[in-house]
Amino acid sequence: MTYELNVAHLYGNLMNTYGDVGNILALNYYAKQMDVHLNVKIVSLEEDFKAADYDLAFFGGGQDFEQTIVSQDIQTKKAELTDFIESGGPLLAICGGFQLLGHYYIGANGEKLPGIGALDHYTLAQDHNRFIGDIVIKNQETGETYHGFENHQGRTFLGAGERPLGNVVSGKGNNGEDGTEGAIYKNVYCSYFHGPILTRNGEIAKHLLVAALQRKFPEDDFSQQAALPIPATF
Amino acid sequence: MSLRSGFATFAGKSSYWFLHTFLHGGSSLPGKITLKLDPNILRTLGAKYDVIVITGTNGKTLTTALTVSVLHQKYPAILTNPTGSNMEQGIVTTFLNAKNPKTGRPLAVLEVDEANVIKVTQYIEPKAFVFTNIFRDQMDRYGEIYTTYQKILDGVALAPNATIIANGDSPIFHSKELPNPIEYYGFDDQPDQDLKAKPNTDGVLCPVCEHILHYHSLTYSNQGKYFCPNCGFERPELTYRLTKLGEQTPTSSEFEVDGHAFKIGVGGTYNIYNALAAYAVGRFMGVAPAQIARAFTGNQQVFGRQEVIDVDGKQVTIILVKNPVGLDQVLHMIGTDKEKFSLVGLLNANYADGIDTSWIWDGDFEQLTQRDIPAVITGGERYKDITFRLKVAGIPDDKHIVEPDLEKVVDEIKKVPTERVYVLATYTAMLQMRKILATKGYIKEGLGV
Repeated sequence: MTYELNVAHLYGNLMNTYGDVGNILALNYYAKQMDVHLNVKIVSLEEDFKAADYDLAFFGGGQDFEQTIVSQDIQTKKAELTDFIESGGPLLAICGGFQLLGHYYIGANGEKLPGIGALDHYTLAQDHNRFIGDIVIKNQETGETYHGFENHQGRTFLGAGERPLGNVVSGKGNNGEDGTEGAIYKNVYCSYFHGPILTRNGEIAKHLLVAALQRKFPEDDFSQQAALPIPATF
Repeated sequence: MSLRSGFATFAGKSSYWFLHTFLHGGSSLPGKITLKLDPNILRTLGAKYDVIVITGTNGKTLTTALTVSVLHQKYPAILTNPTGSNMEQGIVTTFLNAKNPKTGRPLAVLEVDEANVIKVTQYIEPKAFVFTNIFRDQMDRYGEIYTTYQKILDGVALAPNATIIANGDSPIFHSKELPNPIEYYGFDDQPDQDLKAKPNTDGVLCPVCEHILHYHSLTYSNQGKYFCPNCGFERPELTYRLTKLGEQTPTSSEFEVDGHAFKIGVGGTYNIYNALAAYAVGRFMGVAPAQIARAFTGNQQVFGRQEVIDVDGKQVTIILVKNPVGLDQVLHMIGTDKEKFSLVGLLNANYADGIDTSWIWDGDFEQLTQRDIPAVITGGERYKDITFRLKVAGIPDDKHIVEPDLEKVVDEIKKVPTERVYVLATYTAMLQMRKILATKGYIKEGLGV
């Protein structure tokens, strides 16, 4: 294939609930159609993440216990991850991954656990309740509608620099209050969507891949890749 | 028996008789009625029995059935609960239906849902618990594997003298100090290596120091001869060891345990674990290895889930799939078939299936591309999800038939180029499919599960 992209699967052996690995499979599926080869590498506990080594990153959701461990370890990657994000690195973060990019979240036992604060949101808990069910949102800028399945106890509130991934059409969204779902900051896409998100919403996979290609090969024209038709899968 | 228990038992038994005779039903309602009248009824009903509780995510039903077969070699009277009746009401109904034991203490071998263990141990102190495994399953019901294990332990805490017979290859069963006597079973047939579980595997953190576990050998998922290179945590000494794994086909497995040869009429490594659990219980209860071997080969009906249905000359096997680990094992098992086969995937997302279909992405459908499968059919209420899953896995469009309507799926099955057809279906899709096959006269009415 003509192009190659290096993909970091952040904590892929620990943060992998609800089929989130399907996002990597979907990225591969669309990348092939764009003449792009993906080298996917898991970057986990006690392993270095170097911003310069990667063109794209994925960070999935995890179980409470695993997420607690990751919340400690990710502090060692904070500087490089922040660099990656600030320099326009495309990143998809789901559920626990979404939470850990923000300032903090509340663990299963009520303790406040740190994120890396690369994005300006924070996450609270709710008592004896989870948001579980099918969800539909609409992105006001692109007009795209996204479908997913949400299953989260955390209630996330976005910061000033973030836009939602979409506004809730049906379902609960980030916190069940303000009608937002997910977050967009530079080339970072965050969401609570399982399903997994990229298998039902190929448009987002395309945005991530095209952003990675343009960033890595600024001289090349990717209008053809950007025009890849994405048939409905859901 | 107190007057209250006596009345409650009478009411429950009468309702069972009524339901069974006139409505051909009655699996949990009699228990419900009895429990309403006397919430402590299990204490009365269970007092006469030595009880063995079998729990875990996968394999409860077959392990229970195999254990009953094994124990029958030595014990004539064994009470057990039918499939699906593994919650409190179903268990009460099971005891209600039992004939009064005439002599001695009969055994009760009960499959018990993980969260319902405590509903049993509140009233009965079992003789033994069997822990099969804990994997992600219908997470919207129980949460995570650690939560599920804690629910089991909450029940076990009320029975500190009961022996635990646990899958030693599953790290979670070695993660908490317990006062109970514990015996472990596991696979010990491979030379030691230094391996890690596949990336997308649950439960790979060391419970002591929270580093990633390594393995000297792996069977599937996070099961194997695990060790932690950081702190030295490792698999406990096994009481019952699978010492050799022989030929595996979709309908048979050969293996040796503690040097004794066994054969079971069902495929899948996960089923060998079930047999190993039944062996362990048998040995614990004093059944000889030769008797266990006889029990394994004698009772083919316990493997009923994998019956073969003749559909106008096609040999159709319907297999229930409900979570990623089970799915992977089924895919691996059908992969051991020497014959060519076609594959059907039927996905629903009703409550009994799990309402989130995301789990199909944790299943390793990619391994199917290593086989030449001439026809793949996808259908069911959530056919779009399973269709895209298989497309991404690499099933080519020209071999892939998409047919949401299960009636028409049956027509498509008749047209596939292979005689052998495997149908993987979620719970309600399987029921719907069986109903259609029954209406068309390919199987008799009934669930057959």
